[in-house]
Amino acid sequence: MDFIAQNMAPIMFAGLVVFLLLGYPVAFALAANGIFFGLLGIQLGLLEPSLFQALPERLWGVMSNDTLLAVPFFTFMGLILERSGMAEDLLDTIGQFFGPVRGGLAFAVIFVGALLAATTGVVAASVISMGLISLPIMLRYGYDRRFATGVIAASGTLAQIIPPSLVLIIMADQLGRSVGDMYAGAFIPGIALAGLYAVYAGGVALFKPRWSPALPLEARRLREPSGSSGTPSVFVVVVLATIAAVLFDRFYYVPHYPDAALDERLVLAAGAGGGFALASAIVNKVFKLGLLSRLAEQVVFVLIPPLALIFLVLGTIFLGWATPTEGGAMGATGALVMALARGRLSLRLTRQAMDATAKLSTFVVFILVGARVFSLSFYGVNGHVWVEHLLTSLPGGQLGFLIVVNILIFLLAFFLDFFELSFIVVPLIGPVADKLGIDLIWFGVLLGVNMQTSFMHPPFGFALFYLRSVAPAHEYMDKLTGKRMAPVTTGQIYWGAIPFVIIQVIMVGLLIAFPQMSLVYKSDQPTIDIDKVKIEIPADEPARAGEQEDLMKQLGQPPAAPDKGAEEPKKSPEEEQQDDLMKQLQKK
Amino acid sequence: MQALLAVSRLIDRMNEHIGRAVYWLVLAAVLLSAGNAIVRKIFSVSSNAYLEAQWYLFSAVFLLCAGYTLLRNEHVRIDILVGKLSARAQAWVDIFGTVLFLLPMATLIMWLSWPYFVRAYTQNEISGSAGGLTIWPARLLLPVGFALLVLQGVSELIKRVAFVTGRGPDPIVRHDPAEAERALAEEIRKIAEGKV
Repeated sequence: MDFIAQNMAPIMFAGLVVFLLLGYPVAFALAANGIFFGLLGIQLGLLEPSLFQALPERLWGVMSNDTLLAVPFFTFMGLILERSGMAEDLLDTIGQFFGPVRGGLAFAVIFVGALLAATTGVVAASVISMGLISLPIMLRYGYDRRFATGVIAASGTLAQIIPPSLVLIIMADQLGRSVGDMYAGAFIPGIALAGLYAVYAGGVALFKPRWSPALPLEARRLREPSGSSGTPSVFVVVVLATIAAVLFDRFYYVPHYPDAALDERLVLAAGAGGGFALASAIVNKVFKLGLLSRLAEQVVFVLIPPLALIFLVLGTIFLGWATPTEGGAMGATGALVMALARGRLSLRLTRQAMDATAKLSTFVVFILVGARVFSLSFYGVNGHVWVEHLLTSLPGGQLGFLIVVNILIFLLAFFLDFFELSFIVVPLIGPVADKLGIDLIWFGVLLGVNMQTSFMHPPFGFALFYLRSVAPAHEYMDKLTGKRMAPVTTGQIYWGAIPFVIIQVIMVGLLIAFPQMSLVYKSDQPTIDIDKVKIEIPADEPARAGEQEDLMKQLGQPPAAPDKGAEEPKKSPEEEQQDDLMKQLQKK
Repeated sequence: MQALLAVSRLIDRMNEHIGRAVYWLVLAAVLLSAGNAIVRKIFSVSSNAYLEAQWYLFSAVFLLCAGYTLLRNEHVRIDILVGKLSARAQAWVDIFGTVLFLLPMATLIMWLSWPYFVRAYTQNEISGSAGGLTIWPARLLLPVGFALLVLQGVSELIKRVAFVTGRGPDPIVRHDPAEAERALAEEIRKIAEGKV
């Protein structure tokens, strides 16, 4: 008995592993573990008999957590979007645009993958669309099978790391940081990762030209009647739109709103440029001016829906018009409107999406409920102290800790999905990271990039699995050329993923070496964070970005309406955020 | 046993209906949240009541759908080991898990959250923030949601005991994870072929 009392935390942790491996639903196994060891602890006199009285309050904290609302919102948005046909249009047209260069289809897949990732965060949809639309074309024109499947699987997983992704939202929630900061911190690493994929694709095109040939002339459908490609016209539109954006910013927005923050200006200027491009494409089409090539017109038309969605979701967040949660709801509403406009929204689809969303968010929140019951007892027996001791005694300080934790997550990701990792493992290692002086946004993004690999590593990676379900498994006849085509083997899909898993590991290393990639979130903190803080403490007046005086007043006083579900531990991160912010402002 | 199986079917049907009704609240929460953001931006009116109503709705979704999700066997498991066992062995794992994990945990939470609701109800507590909502309806979701979960647990238990004693069919809903993807792939294929 004494032995148990002394080593309660490790025993409880070992118990957790056993409970989980039994294969009963994770949520209930977690909660039962917490209750079982809680009772044992009470018996041994380690815990107060009133321990479980705190349970309802903890559950209330889960219920009143606004951030979690983003889970159903983004899930619902993704489910509507994946059947709206947007991804298919994009792949088709962007493939035509990039196709004529060597490796072009691979670039198109990466580009569209990143674009879809920025609208919503669902891996399955991107991979399936690409597997159905791009893969057959790649195979038809002789792409290497490993390279083609690898680039598709990897580009699909970009949804995990490019904002707005559920991983980042949950990571922010578990680490007690604001979602806006997490988004800002993930932006450069996300783009850099897509860039690394593109560099790899470029290297393949250069050194292994036979792996990724250019589209032959007859496959370029959007050529001009005269036979020219129409590509220069696309560049003309891009240049003109950029000029329009700069002019709007210089001569309209800045003179009118001199204190506008940089990201506000960027978002609005991008909107102006996009609007200009759309207007010119419409005018060209309606009046049959023929000033733009068919290709340019088509490129503009397919890019507008995803860009509009990105504006609805991310634009409104960065402008401070909406909280990240509301951004999800705006995106979901936008996706509904778009599906309706395309005539793809049916009662059946809506019901299917709501049904799937309800079940997914229920199991996700229940894992969190289980984790809260578990942590009540685990913290009660000082489990966090044990974990902290275990991890701080690692050699190498910060770096040693980061390396060990990343290897651990990499290995665990073979068995656990990211919800389980975020709710069970992250709360244990987060405080230790904080204590070691590691910036938690950087840390969260790092773990996000790392967990992204779990979608890609053979044999369990979900992206590979989705791709397998749509890649031709038997010999088939190509509809266009009438040639017999060999099937794509599972081995090819697995081997194809390996280079991208390696790129992923390189990215984790780069991010450890260059934390600045994430830490830039601090440079524009006053805009993003002000909104966040103001909206989280619902004031009577809606928040207005950039008015620092107002904020100082607010911070000087205790928050107007602290609320947020009685005495929830959520408060301390909020306070920390404000402290952070104060420091930032003082530096200015 | 037949009487018990009848009870189980009754519970299943109830949670099925509740789940199908409650999932509409997902749409309601989406529209409320987006509407609130738009109205706040354009007309500068906002109230904490809207913010709170959003999580009331979502709480209703995940608490009232807990039983429904269990019925559909969608609470995620780590099945790298169990997935390889026979159907019978899997049923035994579920019997063990339901009796030792699910039922004690859900009953305890249901038990503890009832007085938590009653307190809010008798004192007519109102949320602390300005313009906040009455608290008890949201508190009531806790005992009700966990009661539905307990009932579904009982139903699953009955079905599995019937199976291992040879008096019923294999009740485990097996998700071929590829199935949903296949359906999606089929639709996307249709979209793609309609166009290309």
